[in-house]
Amino acid sequence: MAKKADLKEIDIKIQSMKKTAEELKQMGEDFPALYRNISRVLASIKMLELNISDVAGI
Amino acid sequence: MISEQKYWNPVLETLPHEKIRKLQLEKFKRIFSWAHERSKFHRGLYEKAGIKPGDIRSFDDIRRIPTVEKSMMRGIQRKDPFPYGDALCVPLEEVSEFRQTSGTTGQPVYQADTWQDWEWWAESWAFILWAQGYRPKDRVFLPFGYNVFVAFWAGHYATEKIGAEIVPGGVLDTQARILKIQELQCTAMMATPTYVLGMADTAKNKMGIDPRSLAIRKITCAGEPGASIPTTKKRMEEAWGAKVYDHAGATEIGAWCFECEAQSGGLHVNEAFFLVEIQDTETGEYIEEPGRRGKMIITALDRQAQPCVRFDSKDIIEWSPEPCPCGRSFRLIKGGVLGRADDITKVKGVLLAPSAIEEVVRGLDGLADEFEVIVDKEGDIDRITLKIEILKGREGERKKIEAQLKDQLRLKTNLGYNLEFHDYGTLPRYDVKAKRFKDLRGKH
Repeated sequence: MAKKADLKEIDIKIQSMKKTAEELKQMGEDFPALYRNISRVLASIKMLELNISDVAGI
Repeated sequence: MISEQKYWNPVLETLPHEKIRKLQLEKFKRIFSWAHERSKFHRGLYEKAGIKPGDIRSFDDIRRIPTVEKSMMRGIQRKDPFPYGDALCVPLEEVSEFRQTSGTTGQPVYQADTWQDWEWWAESWAFILWAQGYRPKDRVFLPFGYNVFVAFWAGHYATEKIGAEIVPGGVLDTQARILKIQELQCTAMMATPTYVLGMADTAKNKMGIDPRSLAIRKITCAGEPGASIPTTKKRMEEAWGAKVYDHAGATEIGAWCFECEAQSGGLHVNEAFFLVEIQDTETGEYIEEPGRRGKMIITALDRQAQPCVRFDSKDIIEWSPEPCPCGRSFRLIKGGVLGRADDITKVKGVLLAPSAIEEVVRGLDGLADEFEVIVDKEGDIDRITLKIEILKGREGERKKIEAQLKDQLRLKTNLGYNLEFHDYGTLPRYDVKAKRFKDLRGKH
């Protein structure tokens, strides 16, 4: 089970992944296969935020 | 090993209550700002009440925010951005899912979801399935007509999400579904209580298959309160030789509560994803303590395309006084959803909840699962007719069953009934939500 101390560490990695995904989304504006797939990746990253990031700061 | 883990989210599901409340407050501020900023409908509602996002600092502040009713949603829809109207918070091209309410209480309400919202639906259901013992090794059968109603769609996606195998039973008829469950040795399924009982009846009486001989060991119910009504739950569990679990959700809200493997007589509210408030229907006072019933005002804390902020669900619930032995800190509502504020009706001056009649009928040995209640008037006086079926081979016990039924109904509902006995198999059967309660008093 993830301990409180781990949550911040996990969150840092989630934010790093989100930053990369957002950069890829910007690069994919004329590339549907990249843009649509990375949009779905961002939705999954949001689920990680709901499960971990939101509570990491509480 | 992942499958041995008790909780889908071991952090959120065991978070101390004061931390859950802190999380809820922060998340409420976020969704309130989102709705205020992006939806003309919500902004108008809040401006009229003189409330801005910066005003929300406590749960008392939240209680000053106007509630939203289904009728308000009906009023703004079928207009631009078509068909959702001014509650929509994202551009139309970001909407990836359409669903609608069943229209049981009036014109259906349309519901827009983005892909992120749809991930959120599946995530909410992942909490449910994991708590009910679903694991990657399960093969899950869905005897559900995939259509515009949300029902078990999210259960399908959550089954994939947790790593289990889904068998979509879509347009197959009941007998074909039972044969497929048998052929594939499916271990779990999801359906309304009415259909769970109907499938067992078809298997036994039309196909000569004992449902207990199939591999189904877990059943998740939704759409009706039956799985939280002890007598109906018992009938389902005995018929299938499986554990039957309840959950509650709604198109406009999401999947907000669930029963866990401990089956402690209540449903856990997913308090990390939803804020549930209980309001006394007479005084308007907010209820924090266990044991007092009221109607639920609910906020989905993370749903974005068409937010659900302080939605007056009209579901009647109460907090349970006891924590659940499963160790989850998500609070329990005792006995599940106990009824609806607009279902509980006065007959002969007495408040009657249809679920009380179901509890009596399903608790009597000798009666079949189906029944129908009709309330009308004989002159100026209310009359309740209860139609029931006696099981095949038990017709000779009719007088005894009738006497027991009258006694139990009087005890549980404080009302007298006109009892009509019908031959087994002649009352209507339903595949999804049953319509067993008919109030005809306004129609004369």
